[in-house]
Amino acid sequence: MTTPRMPHTGHSAPLVAAGPPLTPERLARFSRQLLMPGFGEIAQRRLANARVLVVGAGGLGSASVPYLAAAGVGTIGVIDSDVVEPSNLHRQVAHGMRDIGRSKVDSIADTVAAIDPNVRFHRHDLRLDSHNARDLLDGYDLVMDGSDNFPTRYLTNDAAALAHKPLVWGAILRYSGQASVSWADHGPTYRDLFPSPPGPDEILNCADGGVLPTVCAVIGAIMCGEAIKIITGIGDLLIGRVTTYDALSGRYRELEYGRDPDAAPITELIDYELFCSGSAPHTAHDDAADRADGADDTIDVQTLSRHLANRSPIQLVDVRELFEAKIVCLPDAEVIPLGALVGSLDRIRTDVPVVVYCHHGTRSRMALDLLQSRGFSNVRHLDGGVDAYATLVDPALTRY
Amino acid sequence: MSSSDAAVVEKAAAEKTAAEKAAVGKAVVEKTAVEMNVHVRYFAAAADAAGSEDEMILMNAGSTLGELKAELTRRYGPDMEQVVRTGSFLVDKVVRRDLDWPVSSQVDVLPPFAGG
Repeated sequence: MTTPRMPHTGHSAPLVAAGPPLTPERLARFSRQLLMPGFGEIAQRRLANARVLVVGAGGLGSASVPYLAAAGVGTIGVIDSDVVEPSNLHRQVAHGMRDIGRSKVDSIADTVAAIDPNVRFHRHDLRLDSHNARDLLDGYDLVMDGSDNFPTRYLTNDAAALAHKPLVWGAILRYSGQASVSWADHGPTYRDLFPSPPGPDEILNCADGGVLPTVCAVIGAIMCGEAIKIITGIGDLLIGRVTTYDALSGRYRELEYGRDPDAAPITELIDYELFCSGSAPHTAHDDAADRADGADDTIDVQTLSRHLANRSPIQLVDVRELFEAKIVCLPDAEVIPLGALVGSLDRIRTDVPVVVYCHHGTRSRMALDLLQSRGFSNVRHLDGGVDAYATLVDPALTRY
Repeated sequence: MSSSDAAVVEKAAAEKTAAEKAAVGKAVVEKTAVEMNVHVRYFAAAADAAGSEDEMILMNAGSTLGELKAELTRRYGPDMEQVVRTGSFLVDKVVRRDLDWPVSSQVDVLPPFAGG
């Protein structure tokens, strides 16, 4: 099925005015892109004058920030509060072995300086929130979102809309990626595509679901390309369209979307953690009821450690993949990966309490839902997973 | 993008949508008054659950989004049920949350994810 091409909009207005003329050295450096039809020296001066804020120095940040710097974007800010961990390195190629334990913004600042020391780089070693977003966006022309959680994505979208600034966003998981441009003044936004966030444990993240590193590269490069197009005013922007990439088929497919007619206008920044928590604002009475409900099917790591120390009769079920159990595992746990659980229900005991656990608590929540839907009532899942157990109970356990 | 450019885009899009609506209406009327083919496109986890990127699903004319979601869950089980619960369903390129909304000839199913 062919999708008719949208009428070529020609050249959209450039976002950024051209900066001062470039020196011969700079012209030589950028000669291979200055040669392109429709680009030229003025476009290069627009890039030099542009200020781009990137949310997240992870897989997408690694694939976009170095290209922004190399392409000649004059000012780059990066927001991230994480430090580099060994499990980042398979895909976050702006960081290396020597950066383990360093802040990601420090690490990526060095990467940028190695590419072009003329880039003005701003380190924002913090987490974007409703209080700091407005001031942070104020210093930039364009925002790119490669963050790793839904609250930040909705926050970035709303903050960009309120600031009348274009947002280029991308997201990745496993073999799939998506990218689009959200620019409230010119078309639909992220909220028009995803009006309501999934619950906190309903969607896997990269830590629990995995991701192919080259998907980061593809989507991060698409994001950087859109940023360059917006700044310089060339080409057709990904407004009202989302490009999806499937690494297994090698195919890109496009999906068009218009404004959501039921969407409430974006008028202010809200509490995005609450918005994405799966519950509307509610009363203290509801909170108490939630806690009581939660206590029924969730167990914390301290309680579990007491049960294990007392040798209480329980069945521990590890729903991570087999290789993860080789990295670290709780004693006497039975390993049944989440994907195999539905075919292994005969291994779940009904004569003793069952505790399912995973890395961080997302997959075990899914396993709990599955088991409860199949009639298992004496099951709980471990809040925070084996990572919380290693952090809070047994520091000798390997974290990954 | 200048406002005149934006106006051109919006006008072209409006014309295109009107043409598509007319084409869709014609196709349905010509085919049958009681059944319609819905072209469902699956993305990411939805394609994983369905085992394909798209398919035609024959539904009664006037079927609702809720009925399509139930049909998908019936066909593809728990993985698709998860997609149905969390994914966006776009009917004629507009996201619809109302389960009573009538499906048209094209529905796109796009799960969100937040990895970066």
